[in-house]
Amino acid sequence: MRASTQGPQAAEVLYARLLGKGTYSYAPAIDRDAARGCIAADGLPVFRAEAWKYSNVGKWYQAALAPAEAPSVGETCVPDGVELHRFDEPAARPFLADHLGAAIDLARHPLAAVNRILLGSGVVVRVPAGRRIDEPVNVDDIGAAYEHILLIVEPGAELALVETPITATHRVVECIVAEGARLMHRRVQPRGQAPQCGLIAAKVDEEAHYSLWLVARGTELRRNDIHVTLAGRGAEAHLNGAWRLGDREHLDNQVTVDHLAPECTSRQTFRGVVGGRARAVLNGRIHIAAGAQASDASLTTKNLLESTDAEVYAKPELEIYANDVRCSHGATVGALDEAMLFYCESRGIDRDAARGLLLRGFLREAIAGEEAIGVLAAGFSGAGEPLGATPAEDVASAGGEVQ
Amino acid sequence: MPLLDIEDLHVQVEDQVILGGVHLTVAPGEVHAVMGPNGSGKSTLANVVAGRPGYEVLRGTVRLAGEDITQASPEERALLGLFLAFQYPIEIPGVSNMEFLKAAIDSHALARGEGAPSAAAFIRRARATAERLGLDAGFLKRGVNEGFSGGEKKRNEILQMLLLEPRIAILDETDSGLDVDAMQVVAAGVNDFRDTGNAVVLVTHYQRLLDYIVPDHVHVLAGGNIIRSGDRTLAELLDRDGYSWIEDAC
Repeated sequence: MRASTQGPQAAEVLYARLLGKGTYSYAPAIDRDAARGCIAADGLPVFRAEAWKYSNVGKWYQAALAPAEAPSVGETCVPDGVELHRFDEPAARPFLADHLGAAIDLARHPLAAVNRILLGSGVVVRVPAGRRIDEPVNVDDIGAAYEHILLIVEPGAELALVETPITATHRVVECIVAEGARLMHRRVQPRGQAPQCGLIAAKVDEEAHYSLWLVARGTELRRNDIHVTLAGRGAEAHLNGAWRLGDREHLDNQVTVDHLAPECTSRQTFRGVVGGRARAVLNGRIHIAAGAQASDASLTTKNLLESTDAEVYAKPELEIYANDVRCSHGATVGALDEAMLFYCESRGIDRDAARGLLLRGFLREAIAGEEAIGVLAAGFSGAGEPLGATPAEDVASAGGEVQ
Repeated sequence: MPLLDIEDLHVQVEDQVILGGVHLTVAPGEVHAVMGPNGSGKSTLANVVAGRPGYEVLRGTVRLAGEDITQASPEERALLGLFLAFQYPIEIPGVSNMEFLKAAIDSHALARGEGAPSAAAFIRRARATAERLGLDAGFLKRGVNEGFSGGEKKRNEILQMLLLEPRIAILDETDSGLDVDAMQVVAAGVNDFRDTGNAVVLVTHYQRLLDYIVPDHVHVLAGGNIIRSGDRTLAELLDRDGYSWIEDAC
């Protein structure tokens, strides 16, 4: 399968570059051959392929070839108890050998294979067994167009990660959540211009817990592949997403939750507000393997359309090979409720403010709690944006604790 | 000058005339009860005065403290001092009661040319008012009307009224769905609110609310018109004889 319909020349050039003989300026101890094998065997994805029918991957190929801007590399500081190693440091080697790619099937995620071959920067973030880290780790730019963050939360450890890919053309965040560990992953994607794709892959072991908050706006083309593997008995994943798109923004979320072990739980809750000529996609696949008895999985996605030209594609998929499971899914697309608007207006809140209030409330059905206000504000800040923090929200964040 | 002056109000909903020339004048300090059987147009009257979309005013005017609000937006009416307690309060998931109230109060303060109250001052006041209505502090953090019982929803309407301090409050069947204890709490809230500068219009089926909130005037609405007005003894008459005599009168 070779790209030919969209961005064909870019795809050809990229393909040749990926498989050609060359040296890599960035040479950590990683294996690029498996990735080259995947690309050689299957080619690059094309726009007409089922998995890419909503996103013109040709635009991404053009961006992939563009000379990378030198990103402003923020200093990534980690709290006490957390280890941070660049991939090209010797200290990273054992972790790369043991874990790199453990959560990723490159054949299913060809752009992650591209990322592996062209990798320009990677970091290992490790929390040793049993350590509970209260302060979140923040990772923004780590200095390349192709980035890989390998997060290892060892047995019984706990960590919160907040990450914002800014200039990366493709970022992989790979999460290894060991037995009994907990990882709170907060992904914030403000509005951008350049095409941007990425993969979030999590492998969640026995009795471990992974939660993802995705707060996103769009770009000309933005695609998030999210693949969570519940690999050990009793593992749990909570995936929550809120997006707000306008103009010609594009956001394509392709989510897969694999229940491979018994007694695992997954909850997916997504809310989207889509206006202008924007396009939002959620393809949510729940796969229950034959041995994964007593699985409990649900997915709901609700969307508000703000204009007649906006597009929402919401597609839950269930694939079940076990006979003792509880699975549910639901998807809705609608407009803001006039009765709610009238209720707000009847209290003296003008229509625009009422819309902002209702939209924030709608999105907070997916991303809730006091921490949510800051995360939503970070994702949705900007001039004229009705979803930024308001004085009333400050009250909400104070939570009525003032005596 | 009357606080509310409804003159010859004709209203239609989806090609059906619901109100056919209602006159009602409410002076400061007064409590009026508008009673009537199901389908008489009571809720239409309450909603059309508040500016709810979907009602077409064919003729007549509504004035609030002398200002013609017949064509005003719901928000303008609210900021001029009109409050409607909803018969069926709307649930707004994801928006806390606290945030909703603060947005409303800030909007009123801005309209008066004042600064918004500080979060601390607002929270103190909201909590104290909620307490008076038997609502605990956690109530303010919950989503607006989300999962509230019928009684909590109605008490929440009264909470909003007490915080927004309107000049005229229209209570649309606020007594429906309330047990006696809850009705007493709601009535106490309304009686606290009453003063010489504001006015209340109670829209109700039953006389029982009027045992707790004593009206100065009682009106019977039937077939889209006020067919009889009187003092509180009229409500007692309705309680005793029901509405069947009205059909004869119509």
